[in-house]
Amino acid sequence: MQELLLRLFSGLTNGSIYAIVALALVVVFRGTGTINFAQGEMALFTTYVAWWLTTLGIPVWITIVGAASLGFALGAIVERTLIRPVRAKNDMATLIVALGLFIAFNGLAGVLFGPITKQMPSLFPNDLDTYLLIGGARLYFDALGVWIVVLGLLGVTFWLFNRTTLGLQMRAVANNPESARLVGVRAGRIMMLGWGMAGAIASVAGVLIAPLSPQQLSLQTMFHVLIFASAAALLGGLNSTTGAVVGGLFIGLLQAILIGYVPAVGGELQQTAALAIIVMILLVRPTGLFGQKVTERV
Amino acid sequence: MGTSTTPSSAPPRLPVRLPYHGPAHRGLQAGSLLVAALLIWQVSGASNFRLGQVTSVCIFAIAISGLNLATGFTGMLSIGHSAFYGLGAYVTGILVVDHGWDPLLTIPVAVALCFVIGVLVGLPALRIRGLYLALVTLAVAVAFPELVRHFKDLTGGSSGLVIRARLLTPPEWTGLSVGQRNTWLFWVSLVLLVLTLAVVRQFTRSRWGLAMVAVRDNEVAAASSGINLAVVKTVVFGISGAITGMGGSMIALYLGALSPDGSFTLLKSIELITGLIVGGVATVGGPVVGAMAVVFLPYLTAQFSSGQMSAVIFGVVLIFIVFVMPHGVVGTLQRAARRLVVVDPDLPVDTSRVPTRDLSVPTPQPITVGQPGDAA
Repeated sequence: MQELLLRLFSGLTNGSIYAIVALALVVVFRGTGTINFAQGEMALFTTYVAWWLTTLGIPVWITIVGAASLGFALGAIVERTLIRPVRAKNDMATLIVALGLFIAFNGLAGVLFGPITKQMPSLFPNDLDTYLLIGGARLYFDALGVWIVVLGLLGVTFWLFNRTTLGLQMRAVANNPESARLVGVRAGRIMMLGWGMAGAIASVAGVLIAPLSPQQLSLQTMFHVLIFASAAALLGGLNSTTGAVVGGLFIGLLQAILIGYVPAVGGELQQTAALAIIVMILLVRPTGLFGQKVTERV
Repeated sequence: MGTSTTPSSAPPRLPVRLPYHGPAHRGLQAGSLLVAALLIWQVSGASNFRLGQVTSVCIFAIAISGLNLATGFTGMLSIGHSAFYGLGAYVTGILVVDHGWDPLLTIPVAVALCFVIGVLVGLPALRIRGLYLALVTLAVAVAFPELVRHFKDLTGGSSGLVIRARLLTPPEWTGLSVGQRNTWLFWVSLVLLVLTLAVVRQFTRSRWGLAMVAVRDNEVAAASSGINLAVVKTVVFGISGAITGMGGSMIALYLGALSPDGSFTLLKSIELITGLIVGGVATVGGPVVGAMAVVFLPYLTAQFSSGQMSAVIFGVVLIFIVFVMPHGVVGTLQRAARRLVVVDPDLPVDTSRVPTRDLSVPTPQPITVGQPGDAA
């Protein structure tokens, strides 16, 4: 029982990080119909900036706001200047712009901050004795803190999408940009906003995961997260925000359970096993758990 | 089809229409072949280092051509082709090192195995499409290095597999010594590349090729015109994997050392896709240009910058290419060339004699059919 709880805790922590990066991917997908492969690396860059700010003596709480704002600005600028002009041309072009950004941002982080792994200070107390005992299992404060921030972020996003005019406009643009334009929604601005929001959300994820990640803050930190976040977004259904969250948590828990209880695949084959299970689920539901089927006219 | 064009001397209206297999068309084809032969002749005498680079361009072009069949022509986005590349490499490596096979004889085995695995990976494509299919292929890409590490006895695990130079001696009839291995590999890769391009060209212009493009452009419409989606998708994925696997076989011989984290991770798939898009999706020659870009661009950017900075420049150049040439280098050149010269399709009627303008009496227009490969 105690061990199970421990596994669940660690699974939930990783899962909630996957969930919010997946959420960022879904926000972008709903706006522009593409997976932003550079999302992780853009977040990596802003996380490095946050780390740099902490070395100047600025508290982590403030640097996370700085990272989120920078992420917002980067996302919005990238959408306006790089994505919108090529999106009209074709999907493949959008994909390659994202790949180019992926390489460029990773390189830029390396150029500005060097290849050496950084120690990102945690937002929360992370001494070895700061934990709650739940059913005999230790729940460390830093993990708990991550859950709370993620919950808060999800709450804000869902409120924004479902309860505000802005959210309504965003959903309208996601559904049908043409019609949205006809009823007076400024579709271009909404898409820019969507990319900005995604950038901000992913940046928060970056600052949260860096102190917990086995790689700490290095040039490889976000790649792994991005793989599982995109798997989560696809598992949940690319156009569903609920799906992103459920998918992220599911993958986090699945990994934790595989590592803990299926020794045959837990060690070396854990990523393979997790992805294989996701593929099997997709075979049953080809558009993800919460994805909508799109009817095609010929 | 060669993309080379003759500078048009003003009078005739552009585009100049050439009859299919007429003297001018034949001349263009012969000219293109001649230019290609001259280039090869020029390169084959180059320094060992340069020759190595060209060899890796050829190998990469083979791998990208494979990807092009699935992703470019049939619209099945795959980010799992690094696995086929790796599978081909490891089949060759294991057969040569552990079983003492002749390196060249391992290639058919690698191709066959990759075909079978390709068909299996293609099976989910029957139900799953688009980006969701990309996730399936992502799983394959992530699985491959993990599986290699897992089956240590067979693959050498994370410490890798080394093919000793002695095992890669060129055959005796070539008269090349062990030291001239690079020259030997260059010719083998070149021959395989030419073979691949010929196969891809003929294949994509056949009924199969038309079916593939139809499936890509509209699956439902393709199915209702009698195309068997299941067969087309799985077989194309198999062939696609097989060709990329052949590239993998060659890279094993070229590198001489294989490791799961070196050349066969997801990043390799990203490189293959990059090459494909830069060169030109769904064009026969695109993969060759794309391979050049992927091999030479990082090398060039590393010339005037160091380490991470070259990555930044590489990324920026990629984005720049998309802005200037959204259809890839070859795709854009083809479009430009088509404004100057058009080769009339091979129709039973000599369409060049049918007047197409200034008709006082409306007569039924001849149906103009684009060449099959041009549908992109």
